[in-house]
Amino acid sequence: MSASSDSIELYADDPEWADIEPVRQYENPNPLAPIFYTEEYRDATDYFRGVVKKGDMSPRVLDLTEKIIRLNPAHYSAWQYRYKVLLALKSPLDLELRLMDELAVKFLKTYQVWHHRRLLISHPQLSSSKSSSFYLTAELRFIAKCLVVDSKNYHTWSYRQWLLSNFFSGGERGKEEEEVWKKEMEWIEQMIEEDVRNNSVWHHRFFVVFQSGIRVGDEDREVVRRREIDFAKDKISLAPSNPSAWNYLRGVLDNNNLPYSDLSIFVRPYAQARSPDAEADEVIDLENPSPSKGAQLPCVPAIEFLADVYESGKSRDDIEKAAQLWKSLANEYDTIRKKYWEYRIKEALEVLPA
Amino acid sequence: MSQGEALPPLARGGHTLHCTRCVAGLPSSQTEIDSSRLALAFYCLGSLDLLDTLNAKISDADRESWKEWIWEQQAHGKYGTGFKPSSYMTPEDASVNDEYSENDTPHLIMTYTGMLSLAILRDNFDKLDRPGIIKFLRSCQRSDGSFSSIPDSTESDLRLVYCAFAISTFLDDWSGVDIAKSVTFIKRCRTYEGGYGQEPCAEAQGRDCHLFVFLHEMLTVLGGTTYCALAALHLAPSLPNDPLPLTPRERHQTVRWLIQNQDDSGGFRGRTGKDADACYCFWCGASLQILGVPDVLDPIALAAFLARCQFKYGGIAKAPGEHPGQDFVDTSLEPSADPFSPDPYHTYLSLAALSIHPPHTSDTTWKLDALDPLLNARSATAAWAREKIPAQ
Repeated sequence: MSASSDSIELYADDPEWADIEPVRQYENPNPLAPIFYTEEYRDATDYFRGVVKKGDMSPRVLDLTEKIIRLNPAHYSAWQYRYKVLLALKSPLDLELRLMDELAVKFLKTYQVWHHRRLLISHPQLSSSKSSSFYLTAELRFIAKCLVVDSKNYHTWSYRQWLLSNFFSGGERGKEEEEVWKKEMEWIEQMIEEDVRNNSVWHHRFFVVFQSGIRVGDEDREVVRRREIDFAKDKISLAPSNPSAWNYLRGVLDNNNLPYSDLSIFVRPYAQARSPDAEADEVIDLENPSPSKGAQLPCVPAIEFLADVYESGKSRDDIEKAAQLWKSLANEYDTIRKKYWEYRIKEALEVLPA
Repeated sequence: MSQGEALPPLARGGHTLHCTRCVAGLPSSQTEIDSSRLALAFYCLGSLDLLDTLNAKISDADRESWKEWIWEQQAHGKYGTGFKPSSYMTPEDASVNDEYSENDTPHLIMTYTGMLSLAILRDNFDKLDRPGIIKFLRSCQRSDGSFSSIPDSTESDLRLVYCAFAISTFLDDWSGVDIAKSVTFIKRCRTYEGGYGQEPCAEAQGRDCHLFVFLHEMLTVLGGTTYCALAALHLAPSLPNDPLPLTPRERHQTVRWLIQNQDDSGGFRGRTGKDADACYCFWCGASLQILGVPDVLDPIALAAFLARCQFKYGGIAKAPGEHPGQDFVDTSLEPSADPFSPDPYHTYLSLAALSIHPPHTSDTTWKLDALDPLLNARSATAAWAREKIPAQ
């Protein structure tokens, strides 16, 4: 075959498609933002409109819709029609999933790829089959692989949370469910180990621990809260200015109505400049890990946290201490948010009696 | 104020040119836009509206024929009436009176952007099928209070709730929406950081979790969904049992999360720990305006960031970069190959952000008309929509 453009195989020239009458696209003489399609796309969509018009559900439509999807993965009508044809033909959906493995990586950011995947795995042919555990755990492994390519992809994370809450939360899978959630926590630890600043993993941890039901062994919520607070503290000590870990810590406290002041002892060293002889008189406190060596101190999230602790004290003295910290953020440590910190000062002072 | 004087000019002429070029035609590399063309048209028209160049640079005849094209996308059928993204599934021999087929239904986002585009073009809305639109909204609302993009689809998330609420506001008629259910859905999407996720996937029994369309980043995630949640909560008529859109504590937490997203570049990011992106300057900036604290952000730093996102031949890109000379309408460009090339989506949202948060400078190129932060349109256009769209 030559490499010239006339080597493109058109449906118009294919005798297998001779029984379908191509249907051209309607277009107004002066449209907004018309697209100058390639000949290949125009030809394929002409035949697709023809197929839809005729209601053709034969196996060749799977090839046609795959071609269109490869040329335009956002073509939702092609996806929709493809799914109908798969069902009409009783096609093996596990093979379709394997095709999706390729397309998901190729079009990682296209919604339709993930939506189609949800339809496939939800179908009783897969989710109610004897091999459903095999398919579902293969999905979790596949997602983990996708996250190696793009560790913050929103679709991928959403899909994982959907899988976990739809197929592993009903108790129907007994021991297997316990195992999946246990592995999920181990995998999260490993992901955070790899990149402690990946906010998507922190979000996922919050989902697993607090928003997806209570695991076997996690019934004592006080123990769970303490474990999560310690986990966040530990990660903060490694990278004190990492907002993801601080936001997680705040989330745990807010979600459980715990006062920020519980953490004053832990936070204080992070909100101060390192004193030159700190190393010498350092006492190891396992509950309150110190900032790692070389960390830049004071760090903004700690100053902010400590100011919140003071603000909650509500006395004039407390508010003034908070205002001092906000001033240091406004003028020295976080000047991009100067106006915000000044707003916090004004707001806090307003509620004080004159 | 002196920092404002260091800003380069806002290249209004270039940005106008970028949008008029996109409206004139897109290369085959942008074929993915096919199923969201009306949204792209809105970003182009909205940019021209904010730049105030729609009347000066576009002929009366063109504006008339554009209205005609948008009206052609209004389609009626068994689910009610709405707007389609384009005629990409419409047969050549179709007649305007035909009912749409199951494979060519209207789309909720296109219905919102279509109505807003017609308001930008100052249409009188004689052709609007109001009862049909109400029926379409009902067809799209799901049992959990969310809305799907097309009837019977499982694609549902916060953006679509926002579109349904904006359309109800345009019509001044909320009979197409179960408001209480939708508000519950929005509240379930709230995250521990104070933003809103696309869906309340977080719940174990969340059987109605569905993914998010990614139309070349149009209306994108988190920063975008937080805006959609806040704007929707503020558009909704207040409920007797639930009068406040947010509790004071929630508001405080959300303001904190939003402002935390302005990074040292002056731009905003959409998620904690990600890079700044021009579109989040709007999604976060407008959200702060909605929450009544527009002054907590630094508008000079914001403008300086957006100035650096300007492409030398017009248009605004998602991030500052080298701009190797590729353009959205450059036929050589592979889709999404270059995050630094400009597009109408980032151009519009950058201008909208500047309209809400203008920098203090004597350079008049930066002066834009006010914007209605809830409807995401120039104030005069939003006022036109509120006046002309309701049944007279």
